[in-house]
Amino acid sequence: MKKLLENRNVTGWLMVSPLAAVLLVFLVMPIILIIIVSFWRATEFSIIPAFEWDNYAFLFGSPVTYTVFLNTFKYAFITWAFTLVIGFTVAYYLTFHIRSQTWQIALFLLCTIPFWTSNIIRMISWIPFLGRNGIANSTLMSWGVLDEPVEWLLFSDFAVILAFVHLYTLFMVVPIFNTMMRIDRSLIEAARDAGASGVQILWNVIIPLTKPGIMIGTIFVVTLVMGDFITVRFMSGSQSANVGRLISNDIALLQYPSASATAIVLLATVLITIGILLRFVDIRKEL
Amino acid sequence: MTKLTSQTGLSRRDLLKGAASTAIAAGSTTLGAPMLWAQNIKDVTLRQFGTGVSNLNDVANKVKEDLGFTLEMTALDTDSVTQRAATQPNSFDIADIEYFICKKVWAAGNMQAMDTSKIANYDKIAGTFRSGLLTPTSTIAQGTAPHTVGFTSGPNGTDFVQEESGWMTLIPTIYNADTLGIRPDLIGRPINNWSELLNPEFKGKASILDISSIGIMDMAMVVESMGEYTYPDKGNMTKEEIDLTLGIFTEAKKNGQFRAFWKSFDESVNLMASGEVVIQSMWSPAITAVKSQGVPCVYQPLEEGYRSWGGGLGISAALSGLELEAAYEYINWYLSGWVGGYLMRQGYYSAVPETSKEFMTADEWGFWYEGKAAKGDILSPTGDKLAGAGEVRDGGAFLDRMGSVVCWNSVMDENQYMVRKWNEFIAA
Amino acid sequence: MTKKHDLELVKVTKRYGQTVAVDAIQHRFQPSSYTCLLGPSGCGKSSTLRMIAGHESVTEGAILLSGRDISALPPAQRGTAMMFQNYALFPHLSVLDNVAFSLKMKGVDVKERHTKAGEMLELVDLTALADRLPDQLSGGQQQRVALARALITRPEVLLLDEPLSALDPFLRIRMRGELKKLQKELGISFIHVTHGQDEALALADEIVVMNDAVIEQAGSARDVFNAPTTRFVAQFMGGHNVIALPEGHFAIRTDAVAITAPQKGRLDAQVTAVEYQGTHVSLLSRITGDQEITALVPEAEYFTTPHHPGDRIGLHWDAKNLHQLTA
Repeated sequence: MKKLLENRNVTGWLMVSPLAAVLLVFLVMPIILIIIVSFWRATEFSIIPAFEWDNYAFLFGSPVTYTVFLNTFKYAFITWAFTLVIGFTVAYYLTFHIRSQTWQIALFLLCTIPFWTSNIIRMISWIPFLGRNGIANSTLMSWGVLDEPVEWLLFSDFAVILAFVHLYTLFMVVPIFNTMMRIDRSLIEAARDAGASGVQILWNVIIPLTKPGIMIGTIFVVTLVMGDFITVRFMSGSQSANVGRLISNDIALLQYPSASATAIVLLATVLITIGILLRFVDIRKEL
Repeated sequence: MTKLTSQTGLSRRDLLKGAASTAIAAGSTTLGAPMLWAQNIKDVTLRQFGTGVSNLNDVANKVKEDLGFTLEMTALDTDSVTQRAATQPNSFDIADIEYFICKKVWAAGNMQAMDTSKIANYDKIAGTFRSGLLTPTSTIAQGTAPHTVGFTSGPNGTDFVQEESGWMTLIPTIYNADTLGIRPDLIGRPINNWSELLNPEFKGKASILDISSIGIMDMAMVVESMGEYTYPDKGNMTKEEIDLTLGIFTEAKKNGQFRAFWKSFDESVNLMASGEVVIQSMWSPAITAVKSQGVPCVYQPLEEGYRSWGGGLGISAALSGLELEAAYEYINWYLSGWVGGYLMRQGYYSAVPETSKEFMTADEWGFWYEGKAAKGDILSPTGDKLAGAGEVRDGGAFLDRMGSVVCWNSVMDENQYMVRKWNEFIAA
Repeated sequence: MTKKHDLELVKVTKRYGQTVAVDAIQHRFQPSSYTCLLGPSGCGKSSTLRMIAGHESVTEGAILLSGRDISALPPAQRGTAMMFQNYALFPHLSVLDNVAFSLKMKGVDVKERHTKAGEMLELVDLTALADRLPDQLSGGQQQRVALARALITRPEVLLLDEPLSALDPFLRIRMRGELKKLQKELGISFIHVTHGQDEALALADEIVVMNDAVIEQAGSARDVFNAPTTRFVAQFMGGHNVIALPEGHFAIRTDAVAITAPQKGRLDAQVTAVEYQGTHVSLLSRITGDQEITALVPEAEYFTTPHHPGDRIGLHWDAKNLHQLTA
């Protein structure tokens, strides 16, 4: 019996070890390395192992850091709000207005079609569309809506948010749709039986029960947006910066320690954000 | 580590052993050696990386044809090139980089000095890269002039020396004078000064490149042209000068002067060709690319002069033996004229103009180098028409253009400070 | 004339495309009574209940409650309340909030609705668990919460959709006692859908047996059990033999069939199987025409004259126990 228990223990450890090893090698180790490097010193040409707080001191002492973090949060928040509203609406429509499961699956797959091409291509295709002489402007002018092209369509925060929303809405749709599909329909009947109107059902039953999905979607969108650099670069015409661009600039200029320090602060920020989000909703039920 | 083509099924070790025994054999029969080298060299693959400027597949094909070995090319943007040269010496054999990048990465010791006695056309290399003087009476422009970082003290030197020491850091291949590109059709009036970049007339239609080391120089040209400040050395600003320069541009940015910033060649072409931008910092082949789309675009010579840059080939410190020989052979071939002619027909200047001339028609030479009116169509190396009969190159003759260079792309002593300020500018 | 609390179905029909789920059924429910809609799955009983509740539209016909046609009204305005099969408790709300839900929808303020919900919980004896979440409750407790939630709307008719099917057998028996007691206390109509005839017999004042979208038979539990009018009812209720006699088809309760010596009864038969059931012994026999007849004989009686498979016996019954079947 004792031997069996031991064996069971061994089996258990063996079963978790591949995943643990993968996580250790590809997640924990790199992060530890980044943490270590963030304390190193860099000159123009080389990085020197050291333990000093200079990188962090500079980071927290620089007004750019705050601007850029604020900007990153701004992008994350606005994108989140839009993807949530759109994602929730789409998921709601698919779940409650499409009766046949075949159609539900078909329409759901339709939503994923844009994802068959790469992120970058989907993003860059906006550029000719939104440009000064782009399709959007020329169409609006031919309709007589505009007299002269509007400039803020491209290379602006509008363009950045538009691209983010376009890129990441599906990450909101999928988890919300998934949770919504699991809502027992009789709950909605029960609510209606209790006299709830459509809006009341939405607010008192569907939204509370969809919260875990919303939260998972939120985590996806927020982390994706906060970690992004390429979308901001292309869609703002390099005129705006978020933390990702700060890091990518540092890397390009061989300032690995500084990039590491920024990355660590970003990582901490994202983790804290997720931590706060998780205080609101228990997503374990979903996993 | 250097990589060899696998067709022969031989490992590198086998080959090196072969090479070594060949070398021993060569000791006894001196005559046979070069031929045996030549045979083995066919199995060599050299990995070259650099900016898109001169990383051309046509070159790789021609190398295979003329020299027999394989050249693998990787095109990267300026920052990535710097990063690779400084941090990954085993990822390349040949680095096709700019001189100001060389200044940054040479000290890292990832590249080896080259023996000029092994360079057949060394004596024909333009003076700019050797003494720094274009003509005996020229003055040397500000910034990181190529000759200041072109030589090192010996085979293992990580320093720079200011005289022709016989050991070069880079073998120069290409250089040019950069200025602003404009859309004459959308501007409709002459542009003669760098200060036009910040002219409110072009509000929302201007652009500058988001590569700090080059961008700051263009900014300095603008600031001087505006009469705001005259730099003692644009290539090596003080912190105050950096603050001043970026301050002026930050204000312009906040006022909406810029449509976008660009980082890669393609971006600059798209901005210009689509009409999003009518005046911006630009590189010569980008102008060519815009023109070949049928969109008018001028590489506008300006009164204040040009910002210049030079590029060359460096060799990885990891190279030795057969591959090193192949690398020398490649570099000698590079300077022997075919590539030079090719690059000249793109609008660059070859570092060895004499040999390039042999690979160009008289009309091409006249148009590109001497600034003469074209007698017939001037075609790009890929066959696109770039100019017709009677047209003259923007900026004119070589001596006019390179003679008007006022600064070189550079790395400042306060580079780190500048980079941080640049980040502020982008985030502003 | 319809009176208060009087529920009546008038030619109520439900069609899903070509399929007829409920075919023009007509029934008046006894006021303040416990009615069971009984039938196999797919017979239309649930659709009927859901139409009464308003969760299913009525294709044709009318549903009258207290004299008004409620078939087009939203569920909450019908004077009905429904208790769902799996109780459909809101998993994110506490027991108290579940019960108070309809009051919240009406805009009743927190204090008042909690007081009222508390009273309801007292009724179902759950006051102590008011702050729990549904999934922290046992099946029986959940059912009582569902009951309290339905009753807080003060319905004239409580509709229960298979309310006991999620419970284990022991609890099921206890809960049906509670349901019956509650109905008596409240004095409102309960309409209870079930497919278990024992449940229906135990609970119902009136049983409505449905099959194939129509009502086969309706009546008091005793009438329906003792005097099935159709072959289906006789078989579905159980405890009956259906015999084809020259005069037609008849139903007779298995315990109304007595065993005699051969030739002494009304029919002769051959024993095919004997099954001991504790209080009774079930004796399966075959008569001419390959019909099988079951006789349920009290245990003591059987063992005074035991029979074995293969024995020839006579079967006897009282003519008054024979019920002619219409279909």
